[in-house]
Formats: sequence, structure tokens, C-alpha cells
Amino acid sequence: MPDNFLKRRDIGKLIASVRDAGGRFVAPALAARQAVYKDISSAEELDDDYILPRNSYKELVFPQTEVIADFTIGKDGVGLKGRDVTGRDTVVFGARPCEAASLESLRSVFTWGFIDEFCTKREDRLVVITIACTKADGACFCTTVDLSPKSVTGSDVALSETDAGDYLVHSVSEKGKAFIAKHSDVFKAKPSADAVVKPIIMPERIKGVDLEKIKKFLSDTAHYENPVWPELTRKCIGCGACTYVCPTCHCFDITDEATAYGGKTPFEGERRKNWDACQFDNFTLHASGHNPRDTQFKRWRNRFMCKFNYYPKKFSSKGCVGCGRCIRVCPVRLDITEVMEAISKRP
Amino acid sequence: MNNIYLPQLVTIEDIYEEAPDVRSFRLVFKDKFLRDSFEFKTGQFGLYSAFGLGESTFCIASSPTRKGYIQCTFRRSGRVTGGLYDLSIGDTMGFRGPYGNCFPMDEWKGKDLVFIAGGIGLPPVRSVIWNVLDRREDFGKVTIVYGAKTVADLVYKNELEHWEARNDVRLVQTVDPGGETPGWKGKIGFVPAILEETATSAENAIAVMCGPPIMIKYVLNALGKLGFADEDVYTTLENKMKCGVGKCGRCNVGDIYICKEGPVYTAVEVKRMYNDF
Repeated sequence: MPDNFLKRRDIGKLIASVRDAGGRFVAPALAARQAVYKDISSAEELDDDYILPRNSYKELVFPQTEVIADFTIGKDGVGLKGRDVTGRDTVVFGARPCEAASLESLRSVFTWGFIDEFCTKREDRLVVITIACTKADGACFCTTVDLSPKSVTGSDVALSETDAGDYLVHSVSEKGKAFIAKHSDVFKAKPSADAVVKPIIMPERIKGVDLEKIKKFLSDTAHYENPVWPELTRKCIGCGACTYVCPTCHCFDITDEATAYGGKTPFEGERRKNWDACQFDNFTLHASGHNPRDTQFKRWRNRFMCKFNYYPKKFSSKGCVGCGRCIRVCPVRLDITEVMEAISKRP
Repeated sequence: MNNIYLPQLVTIEDIYEEAPDVRSFRLVFKDKFLRDSFEFKTGQFGLYSAFGLGESTFCIASSPTRKGYIQCTFRRSGRVTGGLYDLSIGDTMGFRGPYGNCFPMDEWKGKDLVFIAGGIGLPPVRSVIWNVLDRREDFGKVTIVYGAKTVADLVYKNELEHWEARNDVRLVQTVDPGGETPGWKGKIGFVPAILEETATSAENAIAVMCGPPIMIKYVLNALGKLGFADEDVYTTLENKMKCGVGKCGRCNVGDIYICKEGPVYTAVEVKRMYNDF
């Protein structure tokens, strides 16, 4: 039984009331002819046709780049000041259930021992509103990684679309309940009697994939020498695109950007945390010239290990949510599910 | 907000020329409270900032038995280390840490110790050596086997002389074949082979080593031949790091994050690792 009802025509009102209170309303909208998560100001900007936005909404908690400290180097010495993030009330509307499951994975890394408050303070103020999928494409494989378009993990408010384009509303978390209560003018108490829910589309589970077998294979350190890695991943060109669109990829670099450096001239600059990717050859390159992951297959293997071994084993969380973005974006058509299948077949 | 990436400011109190392109800095915290209260354990590391260029990871090369300062030793090899190298006494830089685990030195009381280091792998081992020498009576025999490519590349030359002169330390120095000078009195050969030659007893002994990955692998073999059990052999692994706190994703050896679960490991743990370093 749904808790509430949301009319399509009331979304504009919801956007306005979130924004009037100083918040951000992020939803799938077109940019460069494709659906992406965008900060929108009116319901007209919503893309009605999307399956899954091209980018992940992880950037709402883990931006592509952000300043973590400012410094000035002057005649009187060094001034250094860390940045604060208070976060901003943010609603992501129309997220897909696969992706919602990824936030707790990111959180598990960013709170492992040391708490990265740049991430957690943003997440604390993020409300995730998912819409169950009525469309899928060939790259969707959530069901293969034990999720589904009906999953509500990581979702605060879960919506199901009706034939009329309205939504049945399920509050999932306390945060979601509070959000609905706050916007009770648009979240109506009762659905119309004639509301019919659109059929949910279930991507077919890839039969050849056996997550248990993959886990076992990866847990055995001997698998590192298995020829399966160079064989299957030889065509990877190391562009890193898969990592940037992946909702669970968390790697970053810390760099300085300054107006000048050295000499007697005073200068100022910022220290930044930027997305990085384990697919790049200099990612693990030592100062000595030694590189533990000196060839592309080792870097690809690391990414696969991260998804199906490190995340589940270290953090008991999902490294892959089956959103399929890495498959759609790959310029050489390296399909992660093909590697999953091939490894599942190994003895 | 607690900003885990925010360094502390430190002043370079002294600079030591160690070898070509290798320098040590003696660093003190600008903040008085931190200067008095800062604590670390032998084996831990930090991230050192050249503001405007970025951060690099090195071990803390001084011993926690020496209070009031920390020391780092680094080779000029990239952008950040190049920038650090250009700094002068009195300049300010950044430090984050201490991070990582440490050598379980309390468990080693009464045991003999053999230290093995290659090239710029000596700094982390040096922290242990001084920790031992500063409370010498707690430990048994001390043997140090140290090698570098050439005589010039040996770091801490003053301290090597000091250790050489002590009668409670056995120091064996070596250089790679071709790296010797006419007056060289030490050995000529690679560290693992020289280590075997020393015939150091494994009885009631602990081995501590640091060096390039290839050296670590061969030294493990040599220690095995000398009869050392894997659980009595310690090493400190280094990998490229950016955050130092288990998030940036590059120092992992398989599923093990060096920054969080290391950098100190026993040979038992090293042998269980994925072949990824």
C-alpha cells in the first residue's frame, strides 16, 4: 500500500518549494542531447523519456572537484585554512533503484576509520527519490547483481509511476518521511481510485553469471596469474570513462592549484580533491619508476576486484549495482558482464 | 568541521644532505600545543606538503624516543619532492599524520634484532634502530645490513659512522657491484646475498627490513635460509598514496590498503598478499 500520492502536475510546485527553502532540486534533464542529473528550476526541464541519466548522482556527495583548503604563501609565511562544507538541502528526483543502492557503498569508504565530512555532510542533507523503472535497455543488469527495479535500498522515497503519469509514493527512510511531511501539500494522502501502476520492467538475469563463483575465484590469490585477465581486457584503452560514470567508484587525487610557485613572489592557491581513476597508468606509479599495476589488464583487474571483492569483503557493501553505465560509455565495448560470465565459467 | 585532509604547518628547523638528491628535514610544529603533545609510533608515516605543488608520502624517519620534532628523508624525484627539496631552513611546509600501524616493538624485548635496508629504504628502519638504541638494554644483539647502489647513495652517513663505531651494534655495509669507490671498506654485493653471508642467527631474533619491492622478495628468501620464521620477519611496504586514510584508492595491494592496514606487515601477511606490489 502506498503511503501517499504525487500528481505529475504538482512536481513544479515541489521544485518551487524545495528551491524557495534554499534547496536544490536535481533531476534527469537533457544536456548535450542526453539525460543527465541537473539542478533544475522548473518541471518543464524534466526529461520524460530517460532510462538512466548518463552521469551518476554520486557527484552530489562526491563532486568531480572541490576545494578542501586555501593557502597563501607570502613574505610573512604561510597561511592555511581548511574549507568547511555545511551541505545544502538537496533532492535528487527520479533516481533509479540500482543507483540508490550505491550510496551506502560510497559511504562505507568515506567513513572507514577516518570520516570524510565533505562527503557525509552532503549526504546527510540529500533526499533520494527513486522511481521504479518502467523502461530498461540492453545494458541494464541490476537483477544479475541481486537488485531490481523494485529495490528500495538507499532510497528515501520510492515512487511508482501510474498510467496517468502520476506517482504512488512509498516513504522508505525517516528522512523520506520527514520530506513527505514537510511537503504535504503536494504529497496527497490518497491516490485516486482509478490509479493503475505501470508495469515494472525486470531486466533479464544473465544466466551465465554466478556471483558466488566470482567471489570465490577472486578470493584465491592465485587467480592473479590467470590468463583470463589479459585475454578479456586487452582491448581496454585505459580512458577511465567507466570509473567516472560508475556510482561506486570513489578514487580521487589531491592536488594543488596555485597562481605561481617558488621564487620570492608571494602566491596563493587551493588544495583540491579531484576524481581520479584506477585505470590510468600513473595512478599507482612510484617515484622510483616502479609501478605495481604497470599494464592495463592489471588496472582493469583492480577495478573488477574492487567491485566484486574489496567492496563486498571489506565493507559488506555492493561494488556493482548493475546500472550498466560502464557498458554504455565504453568506447571499445568492453562489457563487464562478459567478464563476469567468463569468470563464472572458470573451474 | 573536521577536515581530515587539512595539514598542520611545520617549520623546517634543519636540513641534512644525505646523498645525491636525498635530503632530510627536521620539522617542528608551528602550533605550540601540537609541538608538545604530538605522538607517533615507530613505523607510522605522514603526508608532507609543498604548498602549491601538493603532497607526498614518507615515513617518519625519526624515533618517537626523540621528542619535540619529527624527521623525514626523501629523494628529489618528482614535482612535490622537487619543491620540498628547494625549501630552506626556516621555511614552512605541511604535515598530515601520523597514519598507519606500527612495529610491535614491545613484543621484541629481550630479542636479537637484525635490520636490513636497501637504498632509501633505510629511513623507516632508522626509526626502529634509534628506538632500540635509545633503550639499548631492552634488546639483545643488534645487526644492521645496509646496502645501496653506490657509496654515494648510502644515506645517513654520519649515523652509519656512529653505528660502525659502537661496540653494541654490528653494521654491515654493502654496495652493488660497480658502485664501490677506491677506498671502500665495506662489502660489494646485493643485500640479500650479503645478508646470507652474515650468517646472523635466527634464534630468538626478529628481522626488520625495508627496500624496493624486488629486494623485499629476495630478502624474504635469504631470511628463510637463515632459519627465520615468517612471523618473526617484519617489513614496511610503501605504495603511492594521496589521502593516507583509506579512501583515494591507490595504495591497495589486492584487498589490503597499505595506508590503513599497514604499512608494517609480517612476512606471513606479505606472502598471503596478491602479487600486486
